[in-house]
Amino acid sequence: MKFAIELSNVQVSMDSESWQVDFTLAVKPGEFMLLVGPGRSGKGLILKLCAGLVAPDQGTVRVLDHDLAALDDEGLAELRRRMGVVLQQPGLRSNMTLYTNVCLPLVYHHGINEEELRPRVMPILDALGLKALEKRFPSQLTAGEARCAALARALVVDQELMLLDEVMAGLDAEMVERVDRVLAEHRRTHAVTVLATLHNPSPLLERADRIAFVRQGRIEAVGPYAEMAKNPDPALQVYLGGRPGSRLAS
Amino acid sequence: MIGWLGQRTIDGYLYLTDLSAQVYVTLRELISPGRQGRWAALRVTFRQMIFTGVDALPVISAIALMMGLIVITQAGTQLPKVGGEGLIGSIIVVVIIRELGPLLTAFIVIGRSGTAITTELGNMRVAQEITALELMGIRVSRYIIMPRVVAVVLSMLCLMLYFDAVAVLGGFIIARIKLTLPFLAFGHAVAQALSLTDVLVTAAKGILFGTAVAVICCHHGLSVRTSYTEVPQQTTKAMINSVTICLLLDILVTIAAYF
Repeated sequence: MKFAIELSNVQVSMDSESWQVDFTLAVKPGEFMLLVGPGRSGKGLILKLCAGLVAPDQGTVRVLDHDLAALDDEGLAELRRRMGVVLQQPGLRSNMTLYTNVCLPLVYHHGINEEELRPRVMPILDALGLKALEKRFPSQLTAGEARCAALARALVVDQELMLLDEVMAGLDAEMVERVDRVLAEHRRTHAVTVLATLHNPSPLLERADRIAFVRQGRIEAVGPYAEMAKNPDPALQVYLGGRPGSRLAS
Repeated sequence: MIGWLGQRTIDGYLYLTDLSAQVYVTLRELISPGRQGRWAALRVTFRQMIFTGVDALPVISAIALMMGLIVITQAGTQLPKVGGEGLIGSIIVVVIIRELGPLLTAFIVIGRSGTAITTELGNMRVAQEITALELMGIRVSRYIIMPRVVAVVLSMLCLMLYFDAVAVLGGFIIARIKLTLPFLAFGHAVAQALSLTDVLVTAAKGILFGTAVAVICCHHGLSVRTSYTEVPQQTTKAMINSVTICLLLDILVTIAAYF
């Protein structure tokens, strides 16, 4: 597999925007790519295209060696089992506790019993600071905790690709540090490909192998953090947070 | 006017096509060999059966008793006046077992469980719980729809038989105060009037009504798109369409079996 994700000349008409989305993007296996840019620029749409939630008007979307347009419902479901996706709305089942929510993909796909579940799930909940909240229902969680729970649910299954939409939004400083640590550890042990979006500066910027700057449905610049930090575009530097080497910092 | 009628006909046809497709998908999930998600779906089925079947017993009992009391009292007091004592068994079988039992049970299930299913699925859709399930590779048809259809069909079937039994026996016991008919003669009259066709038709109605109610309510719940205000609108539609389709199915089955 040459690329884990390959978007070729993908075009999508947006009813809510005057501009048309036009993307070409490739992410290598094991790579960590961050999409940064303003809200409603199309970052989330790239993730939805990769997850098969939105079909392009033109162009092709290939994910883990599959052309999404060629997959039927069953094929798409099979492919999604190899992905961990966290959208902006966590989508936790409201009638299940945090723990049972996180266990759901394991119970559904693998029929794993309670004895095997706890040793597999609790370390992830512990690492994300959710252990004490395991018996709470989604309505009793803060937005940040719910987002972390959705991330935990994506991490418990062995996946090859993670799509994370604004995973750091609404998290307090401690949570940001924990998520950063857990993702780094997960990448180290699982060699997973990560495509994530950010609209605020975060420690993930320096962890990413490459950063893509998305504005008005176009990918305007792609490169490693050090290279992007030298980009003179002030709009890009806002999203890089004026870190050392960036235009704002200098 | 003609354009409006044509549009309504096309909409109705498309709606029934959607429902038929949902029934097909449910049947395919039920008999498909894949074991993935079976236990999780079984758990959902069990929980739905508790809610639709077991939790409905008190209200079914109360309504069946009242209905049985009304019909048996009317039949037991009015028929002797016209020399029709011998018809009491037939009246009970026709009114309670063939018609009122299945229909009233269906209406109670629609009011209790059908509306609950539509509301739950609608809220799940708006909260993106359905999308999250799909993104985990969980098939909504297997984890959400099929368990609810199976649970509602089995519950409806059992509740109908329970309704008939409670209405006939319980109604008789309560009406016994006013009636002079001994229990054995009453039981004999009912047994003589009751045929195998009546039992099979009641079972067929249970399966058909249960499938219709569950599929319609799931369909409307999943039709909710973006706003919580759509949920009560879809719930109302689900309720009205469920009642209408159950009545239509009742007419069809009655004509097919007895006409």
